Amino acid sequence: MTSTQEAEKMMIKGDKLTKLSLTRWSADWRNATSLYEKAAVAFRYAKENEKAKTAFEKAAKGQEMLSSPWDAAKHMESAGAIAKDLGNWNEVSDFYRRASELYNECGRSQPASDALAKGARSLEDAAPDEAVRMYTDACAILEEDGKEQMAFDLYRAATSIYLKLERYTDATTCLLRWGLAADKCEAVNSQCKAYLSAIIVYLYSHDFKQAQKCHNDCSQIEAFVGSDQNRCAVRLLAAYKEGDVEEIKRIGQSSTISQLDHMIIRLARKLPTGEVSSLNVEDKGEEEPLDENDLT
Amino acid sequence: MSVIDILTRVDAICKKYDKYDVDKHKESNVSGDDAFARLYSSIEADIDAAIEKSENASNEKNRAAVVAINAEIRRTKARLLEEIPKLQRLSQKKVKGLSREELATRGDLVIALSERIEAIPDGTAAGAKKTGSWGTSVSLTEIKIDSSDGRFESEYFQQTEESNQFRQEFEMRKIKQDQGLDAIADGLDTLKNMAHDMNEELDRQVPLIDEIDTKVDRATSDLKNTNVRLKDTVTKLRSSRNFCIDIILLCIILGIAAYLYK
Repeated sequence: MTSTQEAEKMMIKGDKLTKLSLTRWSADWRNATSLYEKAAVAFRYAKENEKAKTAFEKAAKGQEMLSSPWDAAKHMESAGAIAKDLGNWNEVSDFYRRASELYNECGRSQPASDALAKGARSLEDAAPDEAVRMYTDACAILEEDGKEQMAFDLYRAATSIYLKLERYTDATTCLLRWGLAADKCEAVNSQCKAYLSAIIVYLYSHDFKQAQKCHNDCSQIEAFVGSDQNRCAVRLLAAYKEGDVEEIKRIGQSSTISQLDHMIIRLARKLPTGEVSSLNVEDKGEEEPLDENDLT
Repeated sequence: MSVIDILTRVDAICKKYDKYDVDKHKESNVSGDDAFARLYSSIEADIDAAIEKSENASNEKNRAAVVAINAEIRRTKARLLEEIPKLQRLSQKKVKGLSREELATRGDLVIALSERIEAIPDGTAAGAKKTGSWGTSVSLTEIKIDSSDGRFESEYFQQTEESNQFRQEFEMRKIKQDQGLDAIADGLDTLKNMAHDMNEELDRQVPLIDEIDTKVDRATSDLKNTNVRLKDTVTKLRSSRNFCIDIILLCIILGIAAYLYK
């Protein structure tokens, strides 16, 4: 307990140093910051989360005043980690966003996106919407800087959150953006896998037309057309058209599908979701106005 | 062309053309009246030809060709066996210049000839061993009616039995091969996927390593500078230390001198 008392004393001293009053015309940030840092470490060691968090915040502010955004950002991240333990989700997102901004000030995009990713990961269970927003922001930061390769993991995490939330259209949008990023950095294998995953998600959500449209769009891309994944997609769509449940199940077990991410594999194994024959009927319904021959 | 080849070739040619020679000999010997001898020699020649054909058949890989040759041999055998009774009748006839013993031997010769004809291998014997149950074929060979067609049928049937087994084995082996190939294909797919991922990962790390390279270069040059400066400082210090020692010694001497003079 003595360490906390000392830490509190340090905090008080630091506050005194920074508060402007009649006797003090300029705040002594240097000393104050070092005091705050020591106090914060001591609090963290003593597991006094609330106090540690405040100490880190103040230390970060001090570093900012000392115009070292890097250290400030580091302190912000620590504060965010402690806030996660406390369960203040708003604070978590605020802290991590602030940290990412500070990293951006340093001109380092990678740590900025890393900070956002860490924040998103801690928010995944509690506030998934916010988490997804943070993931997309992180991807945007990396893409601005031309570092799309690093964004793959972030896209994967965002897609998994969407799938957990069962927001399939959002998931497919995310997958298609992933494909775009892969295209920019010539990662053909990842690109084809992203497109195949998108088609599978569309099929899982019963949206056969969308799946076909998606497949048509993707077939414009040469890299996809000649790939294993495209062949698998063609077989899958053909099996769906014919309503052949056995074939769909067999394709779901094939090795091409087993190379995708595990959440997509789970969807693919469950694939013929409901009435495959109804999809057939839809197609026939379109043909009827065209030819009057009997379709019985 | 080795000597052995030449020898075999010569033998074959002689054999081929010996026929004519022997005939000529026989004809010159036999005054053209001995019908028995003539018929006998012609049948013998046919037997030899059939035996040669059967040897060809046993060396033939193509089963269809084997079947064709066997069919021909059987036809020849049937024809020859038909001639045997004629030969027997002729053997009874008395011919000029032939002794009584020779007449007797002729009868034996005919029997021996018929046995030789039957001994010509035409695929039946081998078939009979494999399909012991097909006793009918054996009985058919004994019945010497002109049922060469009948014999053909049984022969044909045996052939399909063999080929059935063959086909079954072939199918099983093919299925096993297909299974093995499928396993290999799956393994190769996994390998391909892993290789692609490794490729992308390495592509990702190339710019990072370039950054590390520049940073480390900067750090090494800083270190070198610092080292050189440190070295300079140390040498300067040491020389200044020498100075200090000099000064101290001087002071001591002055002190001693002052003490002496006091």
